Amino acid sequence: MAFRRHKFGSAGIGLMFGFSMCITLFGPSNDFRSGVSTWVGLDKQLSLGRVIGFSYEDPTVSGDGKPITVILNKDPKTGVAIDPPIRAYVYKPGVKFSPGVNHPELLGPGVEDLSMRDGKISSASMSSGAVFTVSKGVFNDEEVDYIENASATRGWTPDKTLRTAGDANSRYVGKGKTIYISEGCWWCHTLLPEQTQDWQMFGQPPFLGDFNGEMPTAFGSDRKAPDILHVASRNSSREWMTMHFFNPRLVQPNSIMPRFDYLWGKQDANGNSIDFAKWRADYSDYLHGKRIYAPEVPEPARDSEVRALIDWILTSLK
Amino acid sequence: MLMKYLFAKNDEIPAGSATIFFGFSSIFWFVVGTGLGSFNAAKLAFPDWVTGTELFAFGHMRQVHVLAVIIGWISMAFGMTMMYMTPALGNTKLWSEKLGLWTVFLWNIGLSLGLLLLWMGITSGREYNDLIWPIDLVVIFGVLLPLGINVWMTIAHRKTQGIYITNWFFGACIFMVMIVFLVGQSPELFNLTGLTEAYLTFWFAHNVLGLWITPVAAAIAYYTIPKLTGNPLYSHRIGHLHFWAIIVFYSTPASHHLMSAPLPEWLKSFASVEGVLILIPAVAFVANILLTMKGKWTMFVENVETKFSITGVLLAIPLNMQGGFQQTRAINWYVHGTGWIVAHAHLALLGMSSFLEAAAVYFGLQQMLRRKLYSLTLANLHYWFFIVGFCIYWISMTIAGLIQGAGKIYEVPYIDVVVAEHPYMIARWVGGTMVFTGNVVWLFNMWMTAREGTLVPEGRYAHELAYER
Amino acid sequence: MAFKMDQPLYSLSDEAEQKEILALWEKEKHGGLSEGNNRIPFPITFLLGLIILTAFMITMPIWGQRPTADIYVDYVALMDSAEVQSMATPEEKMNYIAKTAYAKADARRQGALERHPLAWDDLLNIAPQIKEIQSGKGKYPLDNYNVLGDRIALANFEGNFTEGGYRERKQPWWDLGYTIDVFYVSYFLITMVIVIKRLPHFSRKPNLG
Repeated sequence: MAFRRHKFGSAGIGLMFGFSMCITLFGPSNDFRSGVSTWVGLDKQLSLGRVIGFSYEDPTVSGDGKPITVILNKDPKTGVAIDPPIRAYVYKPGVKFSPGVNHPELLGPGVEDLSMRDGKISSASMSSGAVFTVSKGVFNDEEVDYIENASATRGWTPDKTLRTAGDANSRYVGKGKTIYISEGCWWCHTLLPEQTQDWQMFGQPPFLGDFNGEMPTAFGSDRKAPDILHVASRNSSREWMTMHFFNPRLVQPNSIMPRFDYLWGKQDANGNSIDFAKWRADYSDYLHGKRIYAPEVPEPARDSEVRALIDWILTSLK
Repeated sequence: MLMKYLFAKNDEIPAGSATIFFGFSSIFWFVVGTGLGSFNAAKLAFPDWVTGTELFAFGHMRQVHVLAVIIGWISMAFGMTMMYMTPALGNTKLWSEKLGLWTVFLWNIGLSLGLLLLWMGITSGREYNDLIWPIDLVVIFGVLLPLGINVWMTIAHRKTQGIYITNWFFGACIFMVMIVFLVGQSPELFNLTGLTEAYLTFWFAHNVLGLWITPVAAAIAYYTIPKLTGNPLYSHRIGHLHFWAIIVFYSTPASHHLMSAPLPEWLKSFASVEGVLILIPAVAFVANILLTMKGKWTMFVENVETKFSITGVLLAIPLNMQGGFQQTRAINWYVHGTGWIVAHAHLALLGMSSFLEAAAVYFGLQQMLRRKLYSLTLANLHYWFFIVGFCIYWISMTIAGLIQGAGKIYEVPYIDVVVAEHPYMIARWVGGTMVFTGNVVWLFNMWMTAREGTLVPEGRYAHELAYER
Repeated sequence: MAFKMDQPLYSLSDEAEQKEILALWEKEKHGGLSEGNNRIPFPITFLLGLIILTAFMITMPIWGQRPTADIYVDYVALMDSAEVQSMATPEEKMNYIAKTAYAKADARRQGALERHPLAWDDLLNIAPQIKEIQSGKGKYPLDNYNVLGDRIALANFEGNFTEGGYRERKQPWWDLGYTIDVFYVSYFLITMVIVIKRLPHFSRKPNLG
């Protein structure tokens, strides 16, 4: 009657449960740790910053305190042209660094060594901000990508880098993914083409090293819409994305995606206030055949949420 | 009234108060949760229905629905059953009614706050763990810990020598779910990233279902069925098999939720074998309960609590057949991420689990209010709305999932899948709305029971009396 | 807690303990509930065995696999042969290649080829890639690559470690996970037998009135 001897039973519960916990928690942690960051993984963590979703620096989950990704076609310090253009990740003073910069052991063997030795990431300081890039190096005869602290190696300052790139070449990727999380896009779209079946339609499934330093990964589990991990390689039109977000039925009549017109905010790119009621009335007329063309979709303002979201999609999801 | 008791002396609080507040809170959250579910389903069927504001956008409502049902309805119904079953099975009274009332009070406050934040889009972005970590800490230390202390102390102060299986489950599951919650928060608290985070997210999601929702629901049936039928539990031995198999096999297959992610293959192999072995506790549970019904099967038709309870047990059969096999490498590639999984999740939570809890809430509220159910007709109406609505939902989503799976395998352009699924999205909305309607009826019925139900004489059970309406 | 080992399949408890347990079961009511001592029905035991067997068999990676580059090696070898070169249409060539390769293949390979037919144009595209991998460039063998229509890509499975210290890019037939499973099933069964046989034998039913 072991079942009724509660001490014996309780110890049994503890033992068996503890056993399972050891195997399911400690077992895989070694495997995860051995994952070597790929270029995708480094690009993701540098452009997304420390954490997406609720955090000290962004308690309302609106995309505050995130790094800015810029496309550089000339060196911000010397002015020498860079061809082809490269990506740099600008952390203004006070913006929290991505996990791999603070904890290089997360980057995986090789990447960690090169980032410390050649990339000088340990000299980056949050209070003065930093600019990072991803560079290629060789470690133990294998080519690896590593994080380079361009503020230390090339003397790029956040301010100067942002000015050199200009708004046209700035991509608010970190803010964009924050919007993706807080608007619940991931309840329908997944970020994980499946290993066995999705390759041709949705592209190559990710590797272990593609995730180092990303939080949250937001794979999504319930797919009611296409996987979008590689959506930008299928469709890279900013105009199409803009129309699709404002009202998906403008470009895809059978879509069941919600309208995200509220991400435009109050004003459009020219500072005029957006008259949503009129747009809806016009659209309704269009649906009922009273107009030939659908009404024009307002151009998103520079600091609007939808701009950041499209930046993330077109920059990160390739 | 709750406010009055919160600061009263423990001895002055009437026995059963915690049960009653827990019971009505759980039904309230069930109405809210299914109402939101119905609303969400409508948005999937008719995307232009309510637009223009983020507050009624699908992405803001979906997680509120899920957590209102899991933490509001199901877990509160668990709290309710623990408040009356644990002392009853130990032939004693609840260790502290006051602590129970504080639990239900903090629970409602914490949950409302958490859901409000989620609704505004303030989320951790991790499925089933969407609540931000401060709220999760409230759940652990303001809800689960006091609930656990009450249950453990009541078991410790029992007046019997043995501990009945239901109490074993209650005590063990609260302990395990607390650990699961704590570990599940670690990515947010310690900024764990990458696949570790993804894995821990689904580790949490799996274990919350496997070590809380399924086993506690089963534990409830171990009480209600012998109680209602008057038969002894069929076998103590099968009880052992069920209990230990839950702990050994249900706590391990977390990674089978990520079969198509680049997790180490050995972890997937391990998890999916363990995933099939989940059928062991399932077989034991279903066999034990159905054999207990021996000679009393007429009650399945005649007694409304038994009807709910046995429906839940019967739904455990397809639930575990699906759950055991859909996660294997052989089948997962077809159904992963499709509506099939949505149907399965509703089979677990809305089907198996909710029916078992509904039976226990019906029974317990009558028992603690000492009042006979207000109306049998309304209860039957609730049952039929519930089961028919659920079946419509489950079948339509299963079909939608198979369509989606075929679309995935044959590389059909996604928009064609969306078009093909449209009728099933409408059916899903109809089914969900029926369940919601049934629950509104239930809330009304229970409210009227509290006010106007016939008083049950001392020493009698409510289900032994004849209905008056 | 005295163990009695002379009749392990009857009961592991001694007579006094069995009596004590039965007496308690008859005397004690948990809130009016009592428990029977019925045996685990034979169909249930049978089902348990079936479940354990099925669990291992169904999780082996057999179905739903992408074609690996490995299965088309014979196709690539055949396409340069004189017979194929002399044929006129792509259909004819592909027909001949598929038939010849199928006849040479073992049963497992035959199944894979049946599930994944290949078009001539795709073969032309993937053949140079297969040859390059065959020639020894890169550390992964051919069956670690998946064929995606007209191209070949490394699969992302994190399989067993190879001698070179890197992971195989394929789902394994046996790995650490299955080994732990065997251990789990064994320890569970042993524990359950001990726990259940410590109870009074099922033929002794408590009188629950």
